[in-house]
Amino acid sequence: MSEQPEVAGRFQQSLPAAALLALGLWVGYTSFNTEDPQPYLFPQLISVALVLLSGMALFRAFKGTNRTGAGVPLDQLGRIAPAIGLMLVCVFVMLPELGFYSGSALGFFILFSLYDPASHKSPAVWLKRLVITAGFMTLIYVVFALGLQVQTPRGLFI
Amino acid sequence: MRIGAISGWKNVEFLQHFGPVFTLTSMAILCGGTVGGLLLGATPGLSPTMAVALLIPFTFHMTPIHGLMLLGAAYTATVAGGAISAILLKIPGAPANIATALDGNAMAKRGEGAKALQICFISSFIGGVIGIFVLIFLTPVLAQFALGFGPSHMFWIAILGVTIIGSLDSKSVVKGLLAGAVGLWIAMIGYDSIQGVERFIFSEHLEGGVHIIAALIGLFAIPQVIEMLEGGRIRHDVEVVKVQPHSIFKAVSETISKFRAATIGSLIGVVVGLIPGAGGQIAGLVAYDQARRFSPNKERFGTGESEGVIAAETANNAMVGPSLVPLLTLSVPGSPTAAVLLGGLLIHGIFPGPNLFEQHGDVAWAFINSLLIGQFLMLIFGLYIAGWAAHVVRIPPPILASGILVLGIFGAYSVQSSYADVVVMMVLGLGMYFLSKFGFSPAPLVLGVILGPIAESNYVQGRIIAEAGDGLLAYFCTGGLNLFLIALVLASVAYSVLTEIRMRRFESNQGAIA
Repeated sequence: MSEQPEVAGRFQQSLPAAALLALGLWVGYTSFNTEDPQPYLFPQLISVALVLLSGMALFRAFKGTNRTGAGVPLDQLGRIAPAIGLMLVCVFVMLPELGFYSGSALGFFILFSLYDPASHKSPAVWLKRLVITAGFMTLIYVVFALGLQVQTPRGLFI
Repeated sequence: MRIGAISGWKNVEFLQHFGPVFTLTSMAILCGGTVGGLLLGATPGLSPTMAVALLIPFTFHMTPIHGLMLLGAAYTATVAGGAISAILLKIPGAPANIATALDGNAMAKRGEGAKALQICFISSFIGGVIGIFVLIFLTPVLAQFALGFGPSHMFWIAILGVTIIGSLDSKSVVKGLLAGAVGLWIAMIGYDSIQGVERFIFSEHLEGGVHIIAALIGLFAIPQVIEMLEGGRIRHDVEVVKVQPHSIFKAVSETISKFRAATIGSLIGVVVGLIPGAGGQIAGLVAYDQARRFSPNKERFGTGESEGVIAAETANNAMVGPSLVPLLTLSVPGSPTAAVLLGGLLIHGIFPGPNLFEQHGDVAWAFINSLLIGQFLMLIFGLYIAGWAAHVVRIPPPILASGILVLGIFGAYSVQSSYADVVVMMVLGLGMYFLSKFGFSPAPLVLGVILGPIAESNYVQGRIIAEAGDGLLAYFCTGGLNLFLIALVLASVAYSVLTEIRMRRFESNQGAIA
């Protein structure tokens, strides 16, 4: 694993500041350009704070005086990308299509298997992963479905 | 106002509210919360804040008293449980246990692991009980004082909550305050509470607004899930120091004999706890440093001196009770975990503030009393399961991360039975992960989400009063209390700016020396 820099460079530091500045400008535009200003009185104040603070953060990023945040090095991004991709697929595809229990079980199993350092070739290891997933999901079912009586969207199997 | 008229101080009202704590259900919840909190606290990577955030959905299906008891027990136990991994592995379970690891692990390595754990839990108990008594006696005093607050004062208090956490909990003042402002904006998403006008709804998932629980789980749990996986497929080899049996009575005797460290720790913990935003990490480290200064054995600190463990653990537990004083009386949480507890109170329809003890006195006192009983349970369970709890830390990060993800999904869904809450949780969580990599902290953002509606409703009410009177500026910015609160807002920001400048100078001096 490569060593992380202590503070991210100017370009990386300016990305979140620029994104938040854009957010502040949009909130300001929406709040000040409305026929009925009453519901937007407080958002108007927030937009001013957002623009000022993100402007300061962006200015400091350009100057190179932002001293916090190591950023996300490319090698680290490569390691977490599968997890982030899987989480998004799990929430936006698996849960609605397979139901909460089947979708979550599949998500748990894939995420665990992806990052488990044990061999991917041994059937015994795969069996262990399946047993752990089944055990954990049974616990979740007992707690939420039987204990708390939460009705989740049904799909595959349950 | 006469101090003698203050109910909690004069009548020791809290004694009348122990009944609901000693029921079978309450005791079962307290025991479960304490054991669960100790185990969660002992697990590196699971912060007390995240543990409490993940527990909130479970409390939604309980009565307010039971729900708050569970959260309170888990809060106190996770802080104490963090010391287990600090002592046995030199990996603090939470930032509050950093100072404990310095001497606790050295003691464990020379075969005094059990003694270190026993001293740690006895010290935690002493600090915790002192802190809860400060909470019991100070809360009604402050609540009585705050009863005269109007909309302008409550507006400034909400802003103060965001600026204090934004300034003190973040290494960069600008980023801390910016996170707070983003949180305030997130709270505005959805339908306006007064006219029912749609605001900032740019996705169908946001029609119901951003629910506090989805925000709490997303902002605290999802970034930690991803952080656990940052190393990729690495083997998780943990060497746990073996624990030899040790007499509890000897540990009690040693802790009492070193009362100076316990006194220093308790005093510092109480003071730090009362300062909103300061937190257990500061309490533990400051107490450790002061105990070393006043100790005749200062050269032994860092090599396994029990005074170091006593000072650090009394301090980080003594801050728990006082950190709830500003939360219960002013809605200003004293720590990130207290901010999550505020979310827990709000979902049960309990609005902390000056009227809390008038409107929900029974719930508030039962909650505070349960914290006191929780200290005894934490001591009992801590002494007997500490050695065994060390095995929990052997759970490999991929299992832990996958488990937290699934728990987060079900937790976010269960409160309103809404799939949109799961989507909101995930989007906020991923966004927070990347923001945290650039020095943004989740605590001010969460506080913005929680305090946003309070700030807005008081701002709108204040404007109506101001328009009928002397105008906006005169209503919000004049009067002794308004000016005092504005001064506190400015002071919290100024203090953090000065600290940042000092740190920068220190770093550049260090660089020059190197």
